[in-house]
Order: sequence, then C-alpha cells, then structure tokens
Amino acid sequence: MPTEIVMPRLGWTMEEGTLVEWLKQNGDRIESGDIIFTVESDKAINEIESFDSGTLYIPPDAPQPGDTLPIGAILGYLLGPGEAPPEEAHATPAVGQETEAGPREPAGSRTRKDRPRGRNRRSAISPRALRLAEELDVDWNTIQGSGRNGRIVERDVRAAVPAQSGKGTEGTVRRTIARRLTESHTGTAPVTLATEADATDFVALRAELDIPLLTYNDLFVKVTALALADHPDLNASWQDGSVRRHEEIHIGIAVDTHAGLLVPVITHARARDLPDLARETSDLVQKARQGDLGPEQLQGGTFTVTNLGAYGIDAFTPIINLPQCAILGVGRIVAKPAVYQGRIVPRDMVALSLTFDHRVVDGGPAARFLDTIRRHVERPELWYVR
Amino acid sequence: MREITFTEAAREALSDAMAADPTIFVVGEGVGERGGNFNTTTGLYKRYGPMRVCDTPICERGFIGLCTGAAMAGARPVVDFMFIDFILDGFGEMVNQVAKMQYMSSGRLSMPVVLRGCVGIGGAAATHHSGNYYPVFAHLPGFRVALPATPYDAKGLFKTALEGDDPVLFLEHKSILNHRGPVPETPYAIPFGRAEVRREGGDITVVALANMVPITWKLCDRLAAEGISVELIDPRTVAPLDMDTIQESVHKTGRLLIVDEAFGPCGIGAEIAAQVQSMAFDDLDAPVSRLNGAHVPTPYSAPLEAACLPQPETVSQAIRDLMEE
Repeated sequence: MPTEIVMPRLGWTMEEGTLVEWLKQNGDRIESGDIIFTVESDKAINEIESFDSGTLYIPPDAPQPGDTLPIGAILGYLLGPGEAPPEEAHATPAVGQETEAGPREPAGSRTRKDRPRGRNRRSAISPRALRLAEELDVDWNTIQGSGRNGRIVERDVRAAVPAQSGKGTEGTVRRTIARRLTESHTGTAPVTLATEADATDFVALRAELDIPLLTYNDLFVKVTALALADHPDLNASWQDGSVRRHEEIHIGIAVDTHAGLLVPVITHARARDLPDLARETSDLVQKARQGDLGPEQLQGGTFTVTNLGAYGIDAFTPIINLPQCAILGVGRIVAKPAVYQGRIVPRDMVALSLTFDHRVVDGGPAARFLDTIRRHVERPELWYVR
Repeated sequence: MREITFTEAAREALSDAMAADPTIFVVGEGVGERGGNFNTTTGLYKRYGPMRVCDTPICERGFIGLCTGAAMAGARPVVDFMFIDFILDGFGEMVNQVAKMQYMSSGRLSMPVVLRGCVGIGGAAATHHSGNYYPVFAHLPGFRVALPATPYDAKGLFKTALEGDDPVLFLEHKSILNHRGPVPETPYAIPFGRAEVRREGGDITVVALANMVPITWKLCDRLAAEGISVELIDPRTVAPLDMDTIQESVHKTGRLLIVDEAFGPCGIGAEIAAQVQSMAFDDLDAPVSRLNGAHVPTPYSAPLEAACLPQPETVSQAIRDLMEE
C-alpha cells in the first residue's frame, strides 16, 4: 500500500492548512526523517518531516502550493520499491467543498514540533458519539476525547457543539475572537497610554456640519487617520520577526453584534471626506449587525478604533487587534468642570486610551501620536477647513 | 400497606394457590412438619396435610422423576430443593425429561412443575451450598427462570409460576430471604419477562440480578450526589429475559453494566452484552461491562467468601469506572 502524505494537524484547533511548498521533487527518494514540505497554519510555517521512507509521488491532480486544504487532505504518496501509484487519483477539493474521504489524522507525516507518541494513531470514537457527531454535524476529528485512552464519547461531542455550531455564524465568530485575543494577550507587549481631550469644539463641529449619518466615531476615525499619516510608526505590524509599515491607512472599527465583536475595515480612511466616511461606516455597521459582512470587509486593517462612549464608559484599556500594532479606545464625551482660559468652566471632555505593542513601537512615538489625536480633537480647525 | 418478609410473601403465594387448586402439592427434604430448611413451607403441613406437603428421602433424581410423572398425569407439583445445589443430583431427569416433555409429546403433555430452591453466596455456606446456576437453566430450552429481588415480586412471580403449564425454576437468594417489603394481602400475578426499572437515571444503565438489586439500589443516592445518574433495572426473570427494557435504557444512557453474583463466563451478563452490542451497537458510548462473583468454587472462609462477591464498594467503583470509559 502506498503511504498517504496528508495535510497534518498541527494543533487541536487546526482545521485547515496551506501547503506552502514541496521541499522534495516528484520521484525523489525520501528517507524517514527528511523534511518533505512546509505547511502554513495560523501564523507559523511548519516543516513537515516524513516518518516513512519511499519514493515521493505527487499525482498530477494533487493540491498545488498555495492551496488551503482540510486536515487529512491527501497531498501525495510514498511508494515502496516497485510499488505502483494508486489507481484512483485523489483530487482533493478546496476548503468549503466536501471531501469524500473526510478529514483524517495525518498518516505518513508529522511535524517535528508536534509529534505524538504513537505512530499512525487515529482517534477512537464510540458508536454513540459517532452517530451524534453525524446528527449534529460536528467534526469529531478536532475533538479531544475524555474516555479511556482518549476515546471520544458522547459528552465530548456534546461539549463540542457550541464551538462548532453553525459554521460562519455565532460559534465561529466566538471562536475566532477567542483565538485572536488570546494571541494578542499572550503574544504582544502591550502598553496603554491615556489622556483627556477637551472635545467642546469637536462637538460643535459635528453639530455645525449636519452631515447625514455622521457620528462622533466617524470624526475620531478621521482624526486617527490624519494622525497616522503624521506618525507612520503606528501604522505598522509585526510580521515574521520584523516591523512592516503600511503605505495605506485602513481603519477597523469595533462593532458590537449579537454574534460577538466584529471589526469591519474602512479602507483608505484618510482619503475619504466626511460624508463618504459616514456612509461607509453606517453601511459596514449595518452589515456587521446583520451578519452580511464579506471576509474582505474584515481583513486588511492597519489600525483599529474602538468606542465605548455610547455605553457611558469613561476610559478603558483596549486589546490590540493583531497583526496591527496599536488600537485607540474612545470613552464618552461628558461635560465636566475644566480649566479653560484661566477659569473653571463646563467643557465637553473625552478620555482617549492608546494601547500599543511595545515590540513594534516605543513609548515616545506612541505618546506623540496620541498627543496629535488629542490636538486634532481639541482644535478641529487644524484639520477641517470650513 | 403491611410489610412482610420475602419468604413469607412467597409462602403466601404458595398457600393461596394450594387453597385454590387441590392438584398442587409440595415435595422435598424437610418440607413437612419441619416447614422447610428456609421456612418455605412453615405452617403448610398443618394446613394441607402430609399428602400435599410431602417429605422425601435424600434422592433428588427419584422425586424429580416422581413429579415429572405426576405433572404428566395432570397434577401441579412443587419441588423444594432447599439449597439449589441439590438440583444437580436430578439434573439428567430435569434436562432430558422435564424440559423436553412438552416438545417430545407434541404438546399433548404439559409440564407444570415448579422447581424452587435457595441460591446464592453468603453466610459461609461453603461451596456445596452456595450455587447460583441460573445461567445453566436459562441456557436450556424449556425452562423459565424467575429471580425475584423483593418480597412483592416473590409473591407475584410465584403465583405466575404456579399457574403456568411450563417448568419453572423459582430461585430465592439466601441473603434477601429476611428482607421486608410491602406486599398486598390479595393474590396478584407478575408476568414473566417484564423487567422493573427500580430507579430511573440518565447516565448509566445497571442491570442487577437477585440480591445485587438491593445492594445497587442503596448506592444510587450516593452516586447521584457524585453526579452519576444510575438507571437500575431488575429483569426479575432471566428466562425469558426482557431485552426491550434494557435496550430502551441503553438507548437513553449509552452505558451498560451488569452486576451479577453468579460466575461471569457464559453468564446472564454475557448474554445481555451480546444482545445489546448486536441490537443497539450505535447506542453504546462505552464497552458493555460486567461485574460478577469470582470464577472459583466458593470458599468456606468468611473473609475469602466476601472477597469473591461484588460488594457495595466494588459495585460503586465499577459504575464510576464505566463512566470514565
């Protein structure tokens, strides 16, 4: 029997991976221990080592480098001496289509990092749990069993239902949020700076403009985009061990929805005039709440603004939306006694919090960036010509 | 309702039936004036006389043969074996004549014989007085095998045994003879092949036999406090065996443990396990599990005897272990 080379599972939550490249050629002799291909999962590229020996056979219709594939998808085979290639070509559909064979444990290959004790071990599942998994459309290959020797039993499938229910809806959103925020919390060096801005003129500007749909948040997005243009250090991300600065300014806005937090992206935020920005934001927020956002509308942000002012929050410490390097938190605008021109008078004040990733940017540039935003809030005439 | 013992309940059923049907008579060693080794016939000699409550010599094969002939002639004999172990001395007569007579006569002869005796391990009775043997009889075509676990069932099942036309083994576990329970004074019959769900639960099905029923029953509350909801099933008869009730329960719980004092190999638990995996494979969330008495001749020594038996602690642990599967 030819040994199947499959998309390996590189962690319990992994459902799919991208074949990056073959490190061996079709027909090459493979020895156990050779690195034969690389797979990209989440954020890492993993070298996959063969645990078997044989001649590498990549069928003509096999997945191509760059393809994203479900775990267990067959990438190729190792053939023994004189062994013929399998008769049936195993064309593997891309993710989203059904695979006839279904996902499976990797057979012929393992990563160096994530090597289980036994070889070719498949998860066992009780007949009852299997039936339930099929009824509930739960992918049991991604479940860790709690029964004897890790057998998947009914309670494991039931516990997995919330996490896997309704792909593309609530469950997935929650899972994605959990994964991304855990990565952010554990993988960044966050520092939060806070300041208070006098927003009296900012408030007056919005009233004066009378632009349909224009919210305070739109104005904050606008001043943030302007400040990012002045401070490109903050319009950057940490990728593959180095800082990458972005040419364009695309600002994500945090939207509270029934399904969970979504962050649609306002592209080219700096170039948009206020009426355009207001329309775009309104459209994105509505789509987010209706679950109509396409993936392209959730990707590509270079900075995020999150505003809890509508909920009466004064100030908070936002969490960085990776791979971005900073996020601006906006509190409520509230009238307070303030020193203005030497006298204590009521002024509309707003707290601004900037959380930044100290790996990417230092405190000085971050403080200067936040100060620029504060000045733009306090003195709209600096950037808005009436 | 009044509460009487298991033995009193069975004896009441026998006495009621004898009063109603003059063809019923009892034979056995010491069943007459002595009232039976286990008080199974106390008072009946006085009430029904030596013709109907008849002491025998120690000759099992002889008096089983006598009763076989009497049944063929239209009487309804009850053979009281005292310890069921003594039935083995009449085994050939039972298997070759009692069990097969209706078949051999194409149904022209009926065989309404009740073969009763005390089963079970306990009281340092040693290996000649500690047999269970019901799996042997359940294995053979022709016998019905009743295994009551409560006084109420003892009376109801005994009435059914006395009224049927087939040979019945009515087996009373020694350890529960003095258990008291509510028993109606009026006669009633409990049909064979109808299991009783002693306690409803959702996590695990435990099928217990004979004295394992009260032992397991008492554990259910404590296990519930641990978070294990036990459904306890008492089959009441092992031939016929009510597989429907067991399967229904396994459909609900996905886990099945059979607790039986009798030897494990080729036993009732093996039969239930085989049927469940065959008919309800997809219901199973764990392997079917059995807890049996040790597969050894029963020791005389009380500590060794206890070590051979499923005890409350070992039953609890078997239930916990199966939940871990």
